[in-house]
Amino acid sequence: MSADAEAVDVCAFWVGEAVYGIDVARVDEILPRVVPLPLSDAPAHVEGVVHVHGTAVPIVDLRRLLPAGSPPRTAKPKVILARIGRRRVGLRVDGMAGVRRYTAAEIRPEGSVPGVLGVTGDECRLLDLQGLLAKRSAARRPGL
Amino acid sequence: MSPGTSAVHELLARFRYRPEEEFDALVDLPTSSVEPDRPVGAEEIQLLTFSLREGEYAVALDTVTEILRARPLTEIPRARPPLLGVLNLRGTITPVYDPSLRLQLAGSAPLCAGPDCERPPRPARILVVRTALGPAGLWVDRVRGVQRVRPGALERPSSGPTGGVVGILQTAEATCTVVDPEWLLR
Repeated sequence: MSADAEAVDVCAFWVGEAVYGIDVARVDEILPRVVPLPLSDAPAHVEGVVHVHGTAVPIVDLRRLLPAGSPPRTAKPKVILARIGRRRVGLRVDGMAGVRRYTAAEIRPEGSVPGVLGVTGDECRLLDLQGLLAKRSAARRPGL
Repeated sequence: MSPGTSAVHELLARFRYRPEEEFDALVDLPTSSVEPDRPVGAEEIQLLTFSLREGEYAVALDTVTEILRARPLTEIPRARPPLLGVLNLRGTITPVYDPSLRLQLAGSAPLCAGPDCERPPRPARILVVRTALGPAGLWVDRVRGVQRVRPGALERPSSGPTGGVVGILQTAEATCTVVDPEWLLR
């Protein structure tokens, strides 16, 4: 499975009207209900932090970073606990859309949408998490 | 390999999770002033210290499974001290004992069970310890904390019946008597 460099397993989820995906290897846990502790000096898309097994994990509302829209009615909002490097981050999404497997042939690169690396044949947008989140944290208001 | 496929490979390389990838913290959190958990060295033991009456006592931490806020117990008719009563610990009937009788700190056990008992004082706790016969509770006045000590730091009691006293720990604040929890229940 993982030895196949041509294919990738994607954890897919809804944000607004679109399906996005991240590498399933990033996903630690999916939490149904999360009430973060708000932070006073955090960027607008960071809701706050939650304690997960003793570590404070920031929760990012992806709905504030990606285009708005209404998800399907069956979608249930969740928080995906994901890893970026050695850090962890919680991603608030509108609903889960399962784990999907794509081969390289099914993915076409995408350069025009910020934060999106590529789009698959069935319109799942593969997210560049580092790029999406790092760019925004640099845009934090000065002095805070 | 066409340029299109190499672009996809680049994309996948960025998409895939790598533990060594660089990422700055989203928010700056103040660093905790709490000492991070060190692994317990092989030569160290951990003691849970607590107060009874005026004194400080300790038991080995690994015998304690749980610390409960003290609550009124269910009385057992004609129960003999040091048994104070029982409590229902998630379905397991757990006897609770008063260690101060065994340590000869008090002549009679306080009334902790039954309809006439008073509300336990706020700092009072019940230490649930593992014993050969199942869990048992020790009613203590206050839990102090966890001390890590080397076994060499424990002094053996020099005189008198040692009984269940494992050793004496001298700390900056107090002299702490380390006892065997099983002995307290006997």
